[in-house]
Parts: sequence; C-alpha cells; structure tokens
Amino acid sequence: MSHPEFRYIGKPEPRMEDYRFLTGHGRYIDDIEVPGALHACFVRSPHAHARIAAIGIEAARKMPGVVTIVTGRELSEWTTRLRMAPPITGLHPVEMASLPVDRVRFQGDPVACIVAADRYLAEDAAEQVIVDYEVLEAVTDMWQALQPGSPRVDETLSSNFLSHQTYVNGDPATRKREAYRVVESTFSQHRQTHVPIETRGCIALWDEGRQHLTFHVGCQAPHPYRTQLATRLRLTENQVTVISPDVGGGFGQKITLYREELTVAALARHLKRPVRWREDRLENLTASTQAREDFCRTRAAVDAEGRLLSLELEILEDFGAYCFYPGNYLARVVAMILTGPYKVQDYAFDVKVVLTNKVGNAPMRAPMSVTSWVMEGTMDAIARELGRDPVEVRRINMLAATDLPYTMATKEVLADITPRETLEAGLRVIDCTGFRARQTEARREGRYLGLGICAVVESTTYGSAFYKAAGIPGSGHEAAWVRIEPSGVVNASVGLGPTGQGYETAMANAVADGLGVSPQQVRIHLGHTDIAPYGMGSRGARGGTAGGGTLYLCALDAREKVLAIAARMLGVTDAVPLRMLDGTVERREGSDWVPAHLDLGDIARTAYLDPLALPDGMSPGLEFHKTYDPPPMTYSNATHFCEVEVDTATGGIRLVRYLVAEDCGTLLSPVVVEGQQHGAIAMGLSGALFEHVQYDETGQNLSGSFADYLIATAHELPNFEILPMHTPNRSTPAGLKGMAEGGVMGAIGAVTNAVNDALAPFGAVVNRQPLSPMYIRELLRGKV
Amino acid sequence: MNKVALTLRVNGESHDVLVEPRKLLSDTLREDCRLTGTHVGCEHGACGACTVLVGGRPLLACLTFAVQMVEHEITTIESVAQDGQLSPVQQALHEEHGLQCGFCTPGIVMTFEAFLKENPDPSEEQIRDALSGNLCRCTGYHNIVAAIKKAATRMQGSDGYVAP
Repeated sequence: MSHPEFRYIGKPEPRMEDYRFLTGHGRYIDDIEVPGALHACFVRSPHAHARIAAIGIEAARKMPGVVTIVTGRELSEWTTRLRMAPPITGLHPVEMASLPVDRVRFQGDPVACIVAADRYLAEDAAEQVIVDYEVLEAVTDMWQALQPGSPRVDETLSSNFLSHQTYVNGDPATRKREAYRVVESTFSQHRQTHVPIETRGCIALWDEGRQHLTFHVGCQAPHPYRTQLATRLRLTENQVTVISPDVGGGFGQKITLYREELTVAALARHLKRPVRWREDRLENLTASTQAREDFCRTRAAVDAEGRLLSLELEILEDFGAYCFYPGNYLARVVAMILTGPYKVQDYAFDVKVVLTNKVGNAPMRAPMSVTSWVMEGTMDAIARELGRDPVEVRRINMLAATDLPYTMATKEVLADITPRETLEAGLRVIDCTGFRARQTEARREGRYLGLGICAVVESTTYGSAFYKAAGIPGSGHEAAWVRIEPSGVVNASVGLGPTGQGYETAMANAVADGLGVSPQQVRIHLGHTDIAPYGMGSRGARGGTAGGGTLYLCALDAREKVLAIAARMLGVTDAVPLRMLDGTVERREGSDWVPAHLDLGDIARTAYLDPLALPDGMSPGLEFHKTYDPPPMTYSNATHFCEVEVDTATGGIRLVRYLVAEDCGTLLSPVVVEGQQHGAIAMGLSGALFEHVQYDETGQNLSGSFADYLIATAHELPNFEILPMHTPNRSTPAGLKGMAEGGVMGAIGAVTNAVNDALAPFGAVVNRQPLSPMYIRELLRGKV
Repeated sequence: MNKVALTLRVNGESHDVLVEPRKLLSDTLREDCRLTGTHVGCEHGACGACTVLVGGRPLLACLTFAVQMVEHEITTIESVAQDGQLSPVQQALHEEHGLQCGFCTPGIVMTFEAFLKENPDPSEEQIRDALSGNLCRCTGYHNIVAAIKKAATRMQGSDGYVAP
C-alpha cells in the first residue's frame, strides 16, 4: 500500500542487513569466539519412558579433556524447577526439573551433561557414560494417552489429560435439529518440527568478580528469556545479560528457556569458566521442540444452500512429554478464531490436550496453522455433500464489508479485513472457469488436476487484552527507544528478537517515516537486553504492529521535539508549519514547502551541546522512550489458491500453480513482507506434503535425520504469485496489521483442498496429513 | 587422538593447522582458519550450508576431513566478494531478496559460483535442480531462483548491467 504520508514505509527497497550475510560475515552463536570456552555435550535417553536407576560417570570422567560431568542432582541444587501453573480453568499445573533426576519421558531426554575441552572430546566422553535404565511402557499416541490404565507421562497428574476447555455461544444443538443437513468432517494434522537451519546453541560467561552472567543465545524474546534465566538460577535480572546475535531461523523454537541452556549457564557459574553448547541436527530433530499433531472434528449444521447455521469443533492435541508452554496455549487459539471470514454465531468448541512420551511442544510458525484447513475443508465438505459449488458456499457465508466490525461467536472482534475482496480478486486471476475446462480435458487423458481454495483470517499481534481474556499469562505490549545522536544520526531499539526476517530494514523504515529521516541515517539495535528496552519479543506475528508500531510512535515523539527546537532556532511561531524530510527541515510558504536551511545535525547539536538555546522548559538531549499496547488482536486476511496434479499411479502430488491474494495492512517493507509470504507458504506446503516426525509404538523417533525428516527443496516447491490487496488497519499506528504466519495456514488448506478436488472422480477424500504418495495410493487402491 | 600438522590452502592463503585426523573440514575452517562464513547446518551432508569449493567444484565441508585437503585449493564464502564488491550471484541475491536469516546463504552462493561457470545459461528447472542440495527454511526458494536467473543473465552480459 502506498500512502502519501510515507516516504519509506511501503517502498520496495532491498534489505540493509544483506551484505554481512552474503559475504560470510554474519555473526551467529557459533561464530562468536570466546577464549578458553569449554564445550558441553548432553547424554540423552535412548528410551521413551524409563526410570533412571543409576548413572555411571567414572569411565567418562577419565576421558581426555573432560572437566566435569553433571546430572539432574547437581542441577536441582543450582537451579529452580520450572512450574507451569497459570490460573486457567481446565489446565492442570505441572512442574519440570532442570534435568530429569529419576525418570526420562522421551527418547532424547537429557540425563547428564559433559563439559570438556572441545566438542569432539565431550562427545567421546558422553559415549562412556553408563546409565542404568528400568524401561517403562510408553504412551506414543494421543488416543492411547486417554485410555484408562494408560501409563502416566507425568506421575503428579491423575491421568494424561493436561488441559480441557469448552465453550458454547448461542444454541448449536437446536440449530443442528433445525438444519437441512449436519456435515461432519475430520482433520488429522501430523507432528512436525521447526527446523531452523541453525540449530540451537548458547555461550555462558560468568564474571565472578561482578557476579554477572552474560549469556549469548539465539532468541526470539530476549527479555522474557532473561527473566526466566535469572529466576531459574536464583539471580536477579540485573545480574544477567542476554545477547541474541544473528539467528539462523527460529520459527517458534527459540522463544523460551530450555533445559540445555539453563544447564550450560549453571555450569559456567559453577566452574567460573565460559561454557558453550551447539546442538547437533539429531538433537534438534529428536530433542528440541516439536509442534502440531492434532485431531479435529467439525459438525456444520447447514441449510439447503449450504448456509452455516451452527458449527461445533472438537480438538484433541498431543502436547508431548513436557510443558515449556501452557498446554491450552496453542489449540485454544484455533478454537477462538476458527470461523474466520464466515458469519456464524451458534458455535461450540471442546479442546482437549494430552501428554505423551514425545518431545514437548512449542508454537511453530502458525501455532494455529490447522485453523484454515479445518474451516475451509469444512466448507468444501459442505459443498461436496450438497452438490454445490465450493465458491458459492463460501460466498453465501462470507463476511462482507458491511458486516464489519464483526464480533465472532468467541467475542473476538474482526475489523478492517477484506475476505470477499481477496476471494473475488484471486478467482479472477486464477481463472476458475478456464481451470475447470482444463480439468475436464485432462481427466479425459487420465490426468487429475485439482484446484484448492483456502480463505485465511490470520490472528496477529496479540495485545495484552487478548492474553488476559484467554487466561494466558503475559503481556502483548512492546517498548522502543529512539536516540538522535549529536551528529544527527539515529540509533533506535525495540524489544523484538529477530531471527532473519529483515527487521533492520523494516524497523528503520518505521523510524525514518516517524521522525523524518532517511532509513540510511537509522541503525536498529536488537536482541541485547542491556541495550534494548524490555519488550515481549518476536512471536505471534507481532513484530510489525507491536514492534514497528511502537518504534513509529516513539519516532513521532522525537519528531515533535525536533520540530519544536527547529521552530525556536528558526525564530518562527508554532503557527508556521515545519516538516523534516530526510533529516532536512522545510517550512511552509503558501502552498509550497521550501528549505529552512536547517538539518537534524544542527538541531541535535543544539539539543546536546547548547541546551540553553532550547525552548523554555525543554529538557536537553534527544532521547525518547515509548511503550505501546496494541489492540487485543489485529487481523490480516488472504485467499490462497493452489493447483495440483495428482499422479494416480504413484500417488505423487505436483504443485502446478500457487496464488495468494493478501491484505496485510501497511507494509513497513514490501520486500520483507513478500519474503515472509513466500516463506510461510513454503513451510505450509512442506509440512502438508513431506515433513513428519514419526515415532514407533515404543516411542523411538524414526525421523532423526534429513533423510527421514523431509523438508521441501527447490525442486518440489512452485513459484508463488502474490496479489497485494493491502488496506490499512484504522486502529493501529501507521495502519499496520502484522503478518507472517497466515501463509502456513493458507497453504495447508489450499493444497489439501486441491488434492481433494483432483481426487473427486474417485470419491476419495484426504483427511489427514502428510499427503504422502503412500497415503494417496492407499485411498485410490481399487478405484483407479 | 594425536593431532597432525597440516597446511591448508584457503582463499589463496596458507593456513598451518594442528588438528586431529577426524576433525571435519567445516570445523577446521571455522575454528582453526577462523573463517566462520562456512556454516554447519546438519553435519550429515543434507543441508548444503557448509558448501565450499575445492579445486573450483562444490564440496560439503561437513563430509570431509581436513586431512584430506592437503594440496587442494579451497575457496570459501569470505573470498567471493572482492574489495567489498559483491559477485553477480551475491548482488542478485540482494536485489531479489533471495536470503532472510542468511544461515544457508553462503552455501547457496558457493553452489552457484561453481554452477554458473559450468552452466552459464541455465533453465529454471536446472537452477531448481542444482538448488535442491541446499535447504533454506526462510525463503521458499522463489526469490533465490529469480536471483540466479538474474545473475546468469548479467554474467552473460546480456542485460547491459554494469556492476555498482
């Protein structure tokens, strides 16, 4: 969206941070040299569920280069346990030791940590640690977890039930009785993992003299992380500095404090020597965090035309063995926003979350990823069952501009979204009619094409009021500072934790347009808790609106003071309009803006070095700080279109075409936003088609390498066509909406609906992912 | 394990290093030659982040021992830009937004520094095929493919481009 007020916001300039990455001079955790640093390596459980009878470390201790070996016993003395007990109805409180002491809960659970002179020697020694396990029966799927008499993952709970929430608005039961038809659909989303190409890692430096910990870790939320780290080490927050350098991707895996990192920090303090750890890929795939894995069922009561009268949703989610987050956190958002672009008030949900002997879950880019597949799969199921056009079924249910703002059945308020507009515009570009003709022609040749549509309403930003309403502890506000230096260059910071999105470019634009300078004059400082203000970090597509919005507001404050000083220096009254463009002040003369022969450097020198020349009562310097709490929720929206060809002989799916019509508000940087759209769609497609964390019935992880956990390569993915249809949000700074997760939501639904469209002649319907060739063949066997 | 003294030729310079025979080329380049631009993403030859050139051809440094590299000429990402001037591949990746977190980027640059010499006029299919050895979790590859096409065109001198 171009906006007359903005000179840089919305302008598609290449990123400012690229040079260092292109030339090999990025600085990620493992690139930071720390003289004398020791290396940590974790001994991990080979069993999914076992009692630790004894840990024999004598042989390992004698290995070359070994400095120390610790287990959960030492860690329980040096650190406090993690208690996850937010006051949420239906959520059971749980606790986690810093390292397991007497029981392991998944294959890969850490039981000891070796510290040695280098990583090779640490790994050698790890092989010599002899752990005596008494193997216990494991719970390896969520249905088994619910069965009475099932082994308990957490002995402090009475069952594997972690969380249960229900909600009813209106009277869905009556609507079902009145309905022409009740259409039931199910959706099984499989377990996946984040796979940042840079694995986790950290470096801990303990300053014994100052009693201060400096902790380098790739982190999406440095300040909340520091709070956790200090608390768990029984230090105060001013004794800990967290520094997040360049980060090679996070996708939700690098938000919270993990046990390995806490262990490394505690060891550095104990040994009074720097200790570092780099996770290997096996550990990342089998022992970091995982995500998704849920079963959803909808029951849609509809009239004869397919109009929704009521909707019911059931979710059962497999949360793994440990709670790094409240158990209701991920699935509940799905239930809150399920109905998305559609009008329906009679709505009920039932969300259950269980524990199993697998890696603990974390939010993964679009923690609510399944939402749009479930809703749009339901719309397609209604169309199928009634023999109607899926586009028409969407049209008669979809919110129009005149319906907005719309209070959803869950009391979430949708405003400033354009679902109809993106649907219709996308339909025109994709040429639905032309596609149907090609599809018919291809079927005659024995080729099966399919077109899938998926409307997305993406919840973004998550202000404090949403947290409060959802019973999730935490805040959605953000903090920023802007400092104009005496020479007129600008430093600025915000409490986000970048993991590669391009914040240095996007945030510089927010400051540039707020203040009236060029982005080249602005340097953005992120990820260092002694430099950045206390903010809530990067998660839930909040960087743009919460982060960029706060910086923009802070820069507006700065502009106000700068122009007040300028007026004084120019000897003009408040009545004479002044503005600053690219750091140069202009004054209004008649209908023209003319140079005032004053620039930001002149003003800054006055503010710092000649404060007596400032307007009366104005304080010296040009330093600004701002906090801002965004609306409870902001929403972006899009309609995704995916064309596939299914090879009925092999079950293979070829992605032929991909289009998304998207409205994500004002774009701080269109280049960055487009990158986020591509990346999110790619992650959705890759997840729906290929990625799969698999466990066998004993809880052995079968997907511990990239030969087993398949990520889409350039060979499998299509080009992405983007139809930008951005309209501003009227209740946020600069009209920002936030985005970056909706692409995952849309891709998952669009590709699955496309496959169903292709398979329609066979009466086959896919209702679980991944859409592997084996699964497609299983559906077609005997039908082709 | 006993360490051995080696001389590695990297980016036209000699590096005398003392390493265990089992030490990976990736770790040796990063820790002993202090060239940290070569990234380690999987340590099992699947992600391509550690791609370097040996004798001008791409090689996965995580599947190679440093001791195998004596008498070989190694090229890493640090030598691709000359005097602060990005190569056509790097410049095109910048212009087309073909990178986000940057972790996989050095491996991709090295892959295509070699590829475009052998395939100066590649089809999109060939580019996607060559790129399939490098995993990128951020970009979805679309812009990387566009960048390689642009770089190929420029290197052929057919778009009138003059390096900045």
